[in-house]
Amino acid sequence: MTAPLLELDDLRVDFRQSGHVVRAVDGLSYQADKARTLALIGESGSGKTVSARAIMALLPETARVTGSIRYEGTELVGLSERRMRALRGNQIAMVFQDPARSLNPTLRIGAQITEAIHIHRQVSKAEAHDRAVELMELVRLPAARERFRQYPHQLSGGMRQRVMIAIALAGDPRLLIADEATTALDVTTQAQIMELLRDLQERLGMALIMISHDLGLAASYADEVLVMYAGRAVERAATQTLFGHVRMPYTRALLGAIPRLENAPHTTLAAVPGQPPDLATQPPGCPFAPRCPEVTDKCRETAPPLAEQEPGHLWACWHPCGLEDSAAEEVAV
Amino acid sequence: MAAPTEGLVPGVLEPAVVAPPPGEEGRLGRLRVLGGIWLPALLVAAIFFLCFVWPIIGPVPSPTGGSILNSNDPSFTPGHLFGTDATGNDEWSRLLYGGRASLEVALAVTAVGLIVGGTLGAFAGYVGGWRDGVIMRALDVLIAFPALVLAVAIAERLGPGELHAIWALSFFSVPAFGRLARAATLRVREQNFIAAARLSGTGHVRTLLRHVVPNILPELITFALLGMGIIIVLEGALSFLGLGIPPPAPSWGNMIAQGEGILSAQPKFVLLPSAALFITVVSFNLLGESMRARWTAR
Amino acid sequence: MNELVLEVTDLVQEFILRDRGGGKAGVVHAVSGVSLELASGESLGLVGETGSGKSTLARAILQAPPPRSGSVRLRGVELVGLRGRRLIQARRHAQMVFQDPFGSLDPTWTVTRLVQEPLVAFRVGSAAERRRRAHELLELVGLDPVRYGNRRPRQLSGGQAQRVAIARALALDPSLIICDEAVSSLDVLIRAQVLNLLERLRTELHLAYLFIAHDLALVKQVSDRVAVMYLGKLVELGPAEALYRRPLHPYTVALLASIPSPDPEAPREPVTGTIRGEPPSPIDPPSGCRFRTRCPRAQDLCASQEPPMRQLADGHFAACHFPVNADAPAPEATAMSH
Repeated sequence: MTAPLLELDDLRVDFRQSGHVVRAVDGLSYQADKARTLALIGESGSGKTVSARAIMALLPETARVTGSIRYEGTELVGLSERRMRALRGNQIAMVFQDPARSLNPTLRIGAQITEAIHIHRQVSKAEAHDRAVELMELVRLPAARERFRQYPHQLSGGMRQRVMIAIALAGDPRLLIADEATTALDVTTQAQIMELLRDLQERLGMALIMISHDLGLAASYADEVLVMYAGRAVERAATQTLFGHVRMPYTRALLGAIPRLENAPHTTLAAVPGQPPDLATQPPGCPFAPRCPEVTDKCRETAPPLAEQEPGHLWACWHPCGLEDSAAEEVAV
Repeated sequence: MAAPTEGLVPGVLEPAVVAPPPGEEGRLGRLRVLGGIWLPALLVAAIFFLCFVWPIIGPVPSPTGGSILNSNDPSFTPGHLFGTDATGNDEWSRLLYGGRASLEVALAVTAVGLIVGGTLGAFAGYVGGWRDGVIMRALDVLIAFPALVLAVAIAERLGPGELHAIWALSFFSVPAFGRLARAATLRVREQNFIAAARLSGTGHVRTLLRHVVPNILPELITFALLGMGIIIVLEGALSFLGLGIPPPAPSWGNMIAQGEGILSAQPKFVLLPSAALFITVVSFNLLGESMRARWTAR
Repeated sequence: MNELVLEVTDLVQEFILRDRGGGKAGVVHAVSGVSLELASGESLGLVGETGSGKSTLARAILQAPPPRSGSVRLRGVELVGLRGRRLIQARRHAQMVFQDPFGSLDPTWTVTRLVQEPLVAFRVGSAAERRRRAHELLELVGLDPVRYGNRRPRQLSGGQAQRVAIARALALDPSLIICDEAVSSLDVLIRAQVLNLLERLRTELHLAYLFIAHDLALVKQVSDRVAVMYLGKLVELGPAEALYRRPLHPYTVALLASIPSPDPEAPREPVTGTIRGEPPSPIDPPSGCRFRTRCPRAQDLCASQEPPMRQLADGHFAACHFPVNADAPAPEATAMSH
């Protein structure tokens, strides 16, 4: 069992906002290994994006990060900007959600890729050009040589995202973080990009962290799934295990809320009431308590800790599904 | 109030921190935000009070008709805080009345710009087509001239006088507001709530008045506040050139003009109106900027 | 047999692209001859990806802006050609819920005023009656009027804002509601809530829905029938269940294969076998069948001849020369009967 590439330990991120403190990430711990895919699943306010940006040190000034993020043994929290820059894009790369906003509309895409190459390697202009074309072909961008001189607006959303991936790969990263990288894309394009990422992972041995709100995506492409709610990890397990026996009612709710092709038309979706929590006013107890169908007083008073309750399966819940008292049926998958 | 960076997901709009209804915000936060607005607002209010209200209720002598026997009294002479000018007029009083004249012009010009220019621009932006073209070309002609040149040319034609100054400067403010209103209207018009209003059966006029105008108003008002500063300076320039308010009625501009000749001997006659101009313009700018910050933060 | 709420025939919508100088640089063929029907109380799902023209179709149906050609009959009344007040009157039976809940609500209006707007526009009842009706509508969508009535949209969450939009859409007792990606911007759990709400309203108020989305699983779950659009054309139309079990058009097959299933055990057929390349531009769509440049089954015929919409199974149509899962091709039939 090799040492993990990336290890988060009790990560907390606070934001100062108009006088009060909002805790966006509350004690997150996980590991990312080489050639494996970890899916961080959560809705708005879950803290998944903030935690990813904390890894890359891309948070605004108002953020305060505590805890530990270790990349290959090096502690990233509190690392100087200069040393962080050496890692960012080079060893750890990130692909963002909206390629339209992440690419510079006034630069040709070839130039944007070569720029990324130059930052991390001392190469000649010609070498950078060749490497850029190589990368474009790696991400299956059709007609790479011709596209080199095109501008972002001349490309479709899917193609722009491929360019983003090419830029991310320019430094030969060992860890790639895909933050909702396919959310803004069409379903068919999303599938193509996800297959590309998985393919690249196999070929290059990268660790991949995919951040999404789509459990379906996690089921199809991830080795391990971590579900977040209100800044905390609430369930974590290998994909087969998690989908085989969902324990945390929130995860079960997420699964139940996904429309299935197998369902007959006009099936009512299993929906929980209420809204995602207001991070600024967090009462004690489990953050999901106001909406949980299994809630008891204990849940409202004390927040359940995240613990490995079955081998390889961690969850934070006093009344998990499929065990003891909950009348909940096993999740029909 | 959206959560710090969560919710940047353009497909997913649930804000993690839902803005509470008014009255439930944290106290400290409120102070900080309003500090940015209250201070300049207080300054502007003070300036208006001094120039419009104080001369009526307070012991302020007339700015004209001073006795030549009192001429050139130094500052802090009893009864004359800043002394008197060459013809015996109280300088403090001239400052206040001069401010009133300058502010009257600025307010009038801004009002004309806001109402006439704003209406033209909003209408042009909303209807589009050839009507939009005609209106904007007409406004473009006026905008093509540098503001001061235009104002001077018109004021020269009309001759000095407060009303004429307002006329002349309006040729600048109307197209400026018109352009802004049109741009803002174009942006608002694309929004789905306009389409939704039309689908609800709301007629064009009502849509324009009840949906477009309230949504472009913040931008226009911010612009108006920032514009006040510009107009005051322009009025000052006009008066300085002898084209605005004619002496002996004071305005900050003509006070500076009059004081220019004796600048080295008695600098206060230039420094005082200049300082007043400066403080006023900066106050309006600060107010405008803080309002803009507030509107865009929403 | 239910009466038809909506009949769309050969709808065409185009936009002229202008170059820098204002001259015509090209034409975007957003919708190129779409026909469909919707019966009272029926739910029709419309699926398509970016550039398919589905949103443009929705707006063209509502004459906002009016289509270049074709016919739209709403409750028997022809909408194309109507203007001004007459259009507003005829169109009142159709309403729309938009994708971005906040964008469709005027940020300067309160919730109650927003919901009342259609009633004010059509001068329904007195002010007090309108107010009462607005409160009723808010309760109908699950929002407490006392708590939410005086709020402004920015004081609402996405799900709440969308409920307000739905309440407003119901104000005039419409027969048809067009949901244009109405839940796509919402969080997963909230999405389920709003979908259930829409479903409940459909049965309670006997509404017809035109449900537009890019998520086929979502659409299938809420629709009786599903129509699939690609680059301005309808490529398949049929009962939701049949479309899923026996898709006829290769593009539908690709869409189904692209949907990530929340079942890690499910066999994964790679998408790359079902579709290739990038979507072509709607300015210069491919000749013949528009899907042919990405279709794994394309042949010469597909380039030279545009496939007509044919009935290949009971109530199930596809526009393809070489459909998938089809028995012997049914005789040529260009009209689609319901």
